[in-house]
Amino acid sequence: MTAEAQRRRAFWQILLISAGLLVLTVISAGSVYLVNKAREDNKWVVHTIEVENQINSLLLEIRRAESSARGFLLTQAESFKIDHEKAVAGVIPALDKLTRQSGDNPAQRENIEKLSAAIEMRLGQFAQEMEFIRQGQPDKAAALIREVVSTDATTAITRVATGMIQEEERLFRIRTENSDRSQTLAASMTGIGSGLVVLLALISTWLVRRSARARDEAEARLRDANVNLESVVDERTADLREANDEIQRFAYIVSHDLRSPLVNIMGFTSELEELGGDIFRRIGGLAQVSANGAPLAPAGPGEIVLDGADKQLSEDFSEALGFIKSSIAKMDRLISAILNLTREGRREFQPVKIDTNELIEAIVSTLAHQAAEAQAEIHLEALPNVVSDRLALEQIFSNLIDNAIKYLKNGVPGEIRIRGRTKLGYAIFEISDNGRGIDPKDHQRIFDLFRRAGTQDKPGQGIGLAHVRALVRRLGGTMSVSSELNAGSTFTITLPIAWNVSNRNRD
Amino acid sequence: MTQPVTIIMIEDDEGHARLIERNIRRSGVNNEIVSFKNGTDAMQHLFGADGSGLVQKGNALLILLDLNLPDMTGIDILRQIKENKYLKASPVVVLTTTDDSQEIKRCYELGCNVYITKPVNYENFANAIRQLGLFFSVIQVPPAAP
Repeated sequence: MTAEAQRRRAFWQILLISAGLLVLTVISAGSVYLVNKAREDNKWVVHTIEVENQINSLLLEIRRAESSARGFLLTQAESFKIDHEKAVAGVIPALDKLTRQSGDNPAQRENIEKLSAAIEMRLGQFAQEMEFIRQGQPDKAAALIREVVSTDATTAITRVATGMIQEEERLFRIRTENSDRSQTLAASMTGIGSGLVVLLALISTWLVRRSARARDEAEARLRDANVNLESVVDERTADLREANDEIQRFAYIVSHDLRSPLVNIMGFTSELEELGGDIFRRIGGLAQVSANGAPLAPAGPGEIVLDGADKQLSEDFSEALGFIKSSIAKMDRLISAILNLTREGRREFQPVKIDTNELIEAIVSTLAHQAAEAQAEIHLEALPNVVSDRLALEQIFSNLIDNAIKYLKNGVPGEIRIRGRTKLGYAIFEISDNGRGIDPKDHQRIFDLFRRAGTQDKPGQGIGLAHVRALVRRLGGTMSVSSELNAGSTFTITLPIAWNVSNRNRD
Repeated sequence: MTQPVTIIMIEDDEGHARLIERNIRRSGVNNEIVSFKNGTDAMQHLFGADGSGLVQKGNALLILLDLNLPDMTGIDILRQIKENKYLKASPVVVLTTTDDSQEIKRCYELGCNVYITKPVNYENFANAIRQLGLFFSVIQVPPAAP
């Protein structure tokens, strides 16, 4: 997947979470507001019911007062009187309470004023009725009652109270509706909000699952790629190994087959040499015979002395044969070197635990004589131990130390230093000297077979470093050189600390 | 009655054959030398038309064998000689350019009596062959089986 897609997905996820938070906040705020409103509306509904109740209880008190007054008038019983007084006493507080309760409503206040006036008037009539009864004039009281019924005080009370109740009922209806509406609103808001949150959560989950799936797919692809890579590497390694084996076989066969004619060339050259000796002896003998006129006894080698042109011929003959023989000898050395290299290349390496210090000390002691001759001192520092092929390591280090001793500066005491350290599973060895050094342009060349660099004043075939590098490579390591002309050289060898046969072994 | 030993030389390189023959002669060995330039002819001679080796029954042989032959490997010839009841008593000298220790070991395992590497250095070569002549005079070629 691309980085662009990743960024886009991250952006969408952040957006979703923000949207979810926003919705939650809005729902919470809305719910709080709506619940408060609903409570307020409810309070008003309750208030309306209370007002209505109060009106009813006021009317009830008045009725009670009225009926007890009539009872008292009829029976003159003291209990009716007490009842009446109690009811009259309850009327005023009930009225006051009603006034307080409906103080918020101007229409009701007006009604209450009318009601108060009517009630005051009625109370006055009650007091008069009671007065008449107490003075023993029931007729007057009865007349008064009749008069009261015909007057509009009672009707007014009833009318106003009914109006008030109707008004309160109207308010009750409105407020109930309001309350219902706010409650419905709150419920819908919560519902819609919850739905939104659930939706957002679903989208979020979907996104997360999609990204998880994408990640799984990427992981699977990565795994496939790794497996693929491994198989490709294995394939290439097998190819390389095959190519290497083929080169080894080729080198072996070629060098081997080259040797066969060389045996003939050398053999018959030597035969020719002997033949030549015989011929020139004969020529010498014949020359002497012709000069002295007397036959000679068979002469042994070296007894015949040639002169003049014959001597020159003999010398030319010997010189030519000498060149042929020295060239054959050189060619034989080269072929042997190739054979040895291929033989080394075909040798099975055996990984063993090696005490590197001990190994190098042994090499140094075998080279002590050369070192003393070259006035060289060899300093050995603590080296890391490795698991590797013992013979290969011996060849590597003895070649390098031998080279270091061999190519010192004339007249300068040699100082050869062998250092070691480890890094990331590899042991790094450095063999440095203060010798004549190697021109940087020759750094590659010195590792090539039969190639040498610098002053050719020491015997050598140009095989050592090629061999060392081949060994180091077979041991799964690398080697390099850093050097300047006349400033010494440092050869660095990096070898795996624990070399494993399986990673380079043939078959 | 003693029978003169016949030297069978199986060597594809004529030059080598000539050099070997010369040096054998120089070392004073005058036995008959029969040379073959390839393995097939040599096998034909050694084992006869029926391949049983019966033709050589009762003959005293010494076999000089090169390992690199054009038509077969000397190792095969060596193995067959040493597996044949009429021939296995004949000494076999392997003469070759290979100085590979594995191959030398293999030859000795198969029953080769002497292994000589042909050195390029002619002195050494001649010496080796001459010592072979000395070897001829020392070895007891087994009497022909009845």
